[in-house]
Amino acid sequence: MANLLWLQGGACSGNTMSFLNAEEPSACDLVTDFGINVLWQPSLGLELGDQVKEIVEKCISGEIKLDIFVFEGTVINAPNGTGEWNRFCGRPMKDWVKELCEVADFVVAIGDCATYGGIPATAPNPSESVGLQFLKRDKGGALGEGFTAKSGLPVINIPGCPAHPDWVTQILVAVATGRAGDLTLDEFHRPKTFFSSFTQTGCTRNMHFAYKVSTTAFGQRKGCLFYDLGCRGPMTHSPCNRILWNRHSSKTRAGMPCLGCTEPEFPFFDLAPGTVFKTQTVMGVPKDMPEGVDKKGYIKLTAAAKGAAPAWAEEDIFVV
Amino acid sequence: MDTETTRADIAMLLSSGLKTEAWPRAETSADVNKIVGRLQVEAADDLEKKLIVAGFTDYTVEADEIEQPCETCMYYQVHAKFCELPELMLPVEPEWSCRLWRI
Repeated sequence: MANLLWLQGGACSGNTMSFLNAEEPSACDLVTDFGINVLWQPSLGLELGDQVKEIVEKCISGEIKLDIFVFEGTVINAPNGTGEWNRFCGRPMKDWVKELCEVADFVVAIGDCATYGGIPATAPNPSESVGLQFLKRDKGGALGEGFTAKSGLPVINIPGCPAHPDWVTQILVAVATGRAGDLTLDEFHRPKTFFSSFTQTGCTRNMHFAYKVSTTAFGQRKGCLFYDLGCRGPMTHSPCNRILWNRHSSKTRAGMPCLGCTEPEFPFFDLAPGTVFKTQTVMGVPKDMPEGVDKKGYIKLTAAAKGAAPAWAEEDIFVV
Repeated sequence: MDTETTRADIAMLLSSGLKTEAWPRAETSADVNKIVGRLQVEAADDLEKKLIVAGFTDYTVEADEIEQPCETCMYYQVHAKFCELPELMLPVEPEWSCRLWRI
């Protein structure tokens, strides 16, 4: 039996909603098949007010062993570093978070806000939000760069806006069943099993990427979304086209550009007007290249691929 | 009007000295957005105005040490020889160029 406590900071509850849609395994499977005891979760817990406070205090005192602490949303420090803008059970949430992280065997940050700060931490960041161990790409965050939970692992980051439900439940199962040693984390503390490949890996538009055929408007099923509509699939680490959403689709499959929400910088370009859903270019060349590709190589490849494009690549082969 | 006729009309306009805004090139995305905005408002279905605002030339322009022919542009359909930028939607020739070129 592994005790799990889940709290929310500067959050929209999107990751909780995602978690409740998990299928492999489901949220119920965590309890019935994998021995996870959910002490409290904002959308599932029956306890209110002082009852919740009692659970949290018992975790901190050690009366209840806290195996897994899950945090969703940013750690809010406003105003002026006090954290008073996000009070929970009578005190700033950031104080609870710090004390819970000190006693937990594992700390798991769910979603882009808890991992890297996400949208709330976008400049000018009025809520003084940070992620648990990062602020965007910078190490530190609420707990500090050197933090490790009692297990010896740093915060396990499962980013996304929201995180895919099965990423969440599969990592929780790994941790709860004593297989945390199998997890390897990348430099941003993301489990490599999910975040080594790209969003583009498995994208149904890859043949259009290869022949440099662009989508020019939303809703088109032909064409690649990278060239014009700001898709970040070629440089975003996520398995969105391998572990599908709702088991059958993904943003790019549905014609929606990848926003890069599993990367620390999300949302990119601080959401400046004209930067969302539009590929940013310098003299016609994308500012952000597919990972590992340089400008010279990209231009050469594009010219060759474009010249080799077959006629079918320019037609909508999905409509007959 | 069929595409071949339109392509020939455009070729004639460009070769007869139609002054287009080929420079400055759209260096940043903000520049691109401005030009696209002008195409939507000023040009609409006016062929000549489209050519002027987009900065069409009947030869390849080189900017920032990069050649910018239609044939390598993301909006260009190789087999149809057609520019698919929604605000343009024009038959073109591969060696032509415009300042909305992107790769």
